[in-house]
Amino acid sequence: MAAAQTLANGTSLRVWSFGGGFNGDRAVPAPVIELIEGQSAAITLNSMMPHSIHPHGLDVNQANDGVPTTSGFVGMAMPMMGNFGRVAGLPSLGSSYTYSFVAPHAGTYMYHCHGDTVLHQEMGMVGTIVVRPADGSTDRVWTGGPQFSREHIWHLHTFDTTWHTQTLSGAGTVRYRPDVFMINGRQSVAATADSATAIRGMADDVVLIRLVNTGYLPAVVSLGGLTFQVIASDGRPLRATPMVTQWQVAAGERYDILLTLTAGTLREAQVDYYNIRGTAVLGSATTMIQAS
Amino acid sequence: MDRRSFLKTGCYGVTLFTTAGLIPPLPRRAVAASLSFAITAEAVVRTLIDGSVLSAWQFTGGVNGAGPGALGAGLVVRSGDIISVALTNVLAQAINVTIPGVLENTPACPPGATQIYQFTAPAAGSYYVCDALPGDIGRAMGLFAPLIVMPADGGNRLNAGGALFDKQYTLVLHEADDRLNAAIVAGQAYAMADYEPNYFFINGLSYPDTSARADTAIAMTVGQTIALRIINPGLIYNPLHFHGYHVQVISRNRSLETAVVDKDTVSMCYCLLPKVACFLCTVIACLRASGLPASTDASTRPGSRTDPWRRTYFHLFGI
Repeated sequence: MAAAQTLANGTSLRVWSFGGGFNGDRAVPAPVIELIEGQSAAITLNSMMPHSIHPHGLDVNQANDGVPTTSGFVGMAMPMMGNFGRVAGLPSLGSSYTYSFVAPHAGTYMYHCHGDTVLHQEMGMVGTIVVRPADGSTDRVWTGGPQFSREHIWHLHTFDTTWHTQTLSGAGTVRYRPDVFMINGRQSVAATADSATAIRGMADDVVLIRLVNTGYLPAVVSLGGLTFQVIASDGRPLRATPMVTQWQVAAGERYDILLTLTAGTLREAQVDYYNIRGTAVLGSATTMIQAS
Repeated sequence: MDRRSFLKTGCYGVTLFTTAGLIPPLPRRAVAASLSFAITAEAVVRTLIDGSVLSAWQFTGGVNGAGPGALGAGLVVRSGDIISVALTNVLAQAINVTIPGVLENTPACPPGATQIYQFTAPAAGSYYVCDALPGDIGRAMGLFAPLIVMPADGGNRLNAGGALFDKQYTLVLHEADDRLNAAIVAGQAYAMADYEPNYFFINGLSYPDTSARADTAIAMTVGQTIALRIINPGLIYNPLHFHGYHVQVISRNRSLETAVVDKDTVSMCYCLLPKVACFLCTVIACLRASGLPASTDASTRPGSRTDPWRRTYFHLFGI
């Protein structure tokens, strides 16, 4: 659905959303979907407009993969809207479809609309899927895996506001020049004030941050110089877990990182969004890490 | 494509191999060989997926056949082989043959000349040959070719002592900014800071041509292990996302991967951190057919005039 997002410069930007908001208070990113490893999951998409849900990284079968060319789309083709969603000639699944699968490995995944993906994903039709361990515990990353005491999702995304006047990818979306840089749909000042994004904890808190890059640019995450441990990617534990001060997350990738807070910690975390050649930072989003 | 067409006999009386997306097994042999390849650097006019034309440069294999997809040249050799590449340059400017990490700072080959480049095939792995004169322009214009090095014993392994695979494919990623091509063929300069590609390719093809070529659309039967040699001689990063599959990343840039192994999204290049040049990026990944039909989207890069996602398909048979 269409929605409006107020930018840091006070202007209002048209975005597209799966509705509901990240924590119910924003259009982009979409709601976090929590599943339990080994259990059946059903995600129903209701839409009259042509869209889909692709459960990115969950390795589902083709019928539930949400790719219109192979699996159809939800809604109706809208030829009067210039092949909106680029679904002309593809099978419609009706105005409501339930994507069904068994949640695989515990970890961090994402979902996004796969109709005219280039535009719909950029416009904000993106969300996070968290698969909990088989016992449903919310303090371990996977069964027998590391324990944590606080948990944040950092959903990395950018907007090229010139794209947000388009209804179809094409001549207006040939080149991508983002001018809005976000964590969890919030630019720096708002991200620092956002309780879902800013990390405010206690000494000895072990903080799990699920990094999810649904944007189109390589992002480099740093935590104000603090050392953190990279423990998992794409829903699988790493074979070795490096201790680093910054880490690169490419579009579509997810990384789970652990940070242990110490008393008096007060740092500004930063996400630098690089151009696709990796030669320059186009923009950044910052937020706060604080321990009492 | 007929597998046997990949095997050619060259003028030096030795068997030459060219690479295709689907690489046939090499015959076993006991000792290293001396292999000679003749390639030509030439101007080509490519018809793109939207019908427009692009003036580009290309290495072509000459008598030795074609590379995968629409790429003109490619080499498949064994570790330890003594390789001689005879480059004939019919372009209007000097170029050279380099292999990032293996053969660098080589002499120029002037226009109209033929220059011999010799090297010993390095450790088994995936590499590429490219022009490095002048700077990045040669690669932006298309002067590159995959170099596949098999273990010395010719076995179906990605590295000596590594796991066996059933079939292997080469997927070469690159892109084009048609403004750069137009400027270069007109003899003008182009500032690389302005490089913003608008066409994207796997093996020189855009979707749906990628799914129509047997050497680029991946076909496998349930239970098979497929080796994917993903080579990025282009100038931008590309994340490849595999629908329906996680892959195992075996190596990156000549190093075995020991940490970030099990992936559904593989980033090419990987190397913003530590901050080093990203020009060398090859990844070898393994895929085990699980019984799911699947497609893969290579690159979430937006912006093509046509289908902005490079895409190739895995086809599973026997299910």
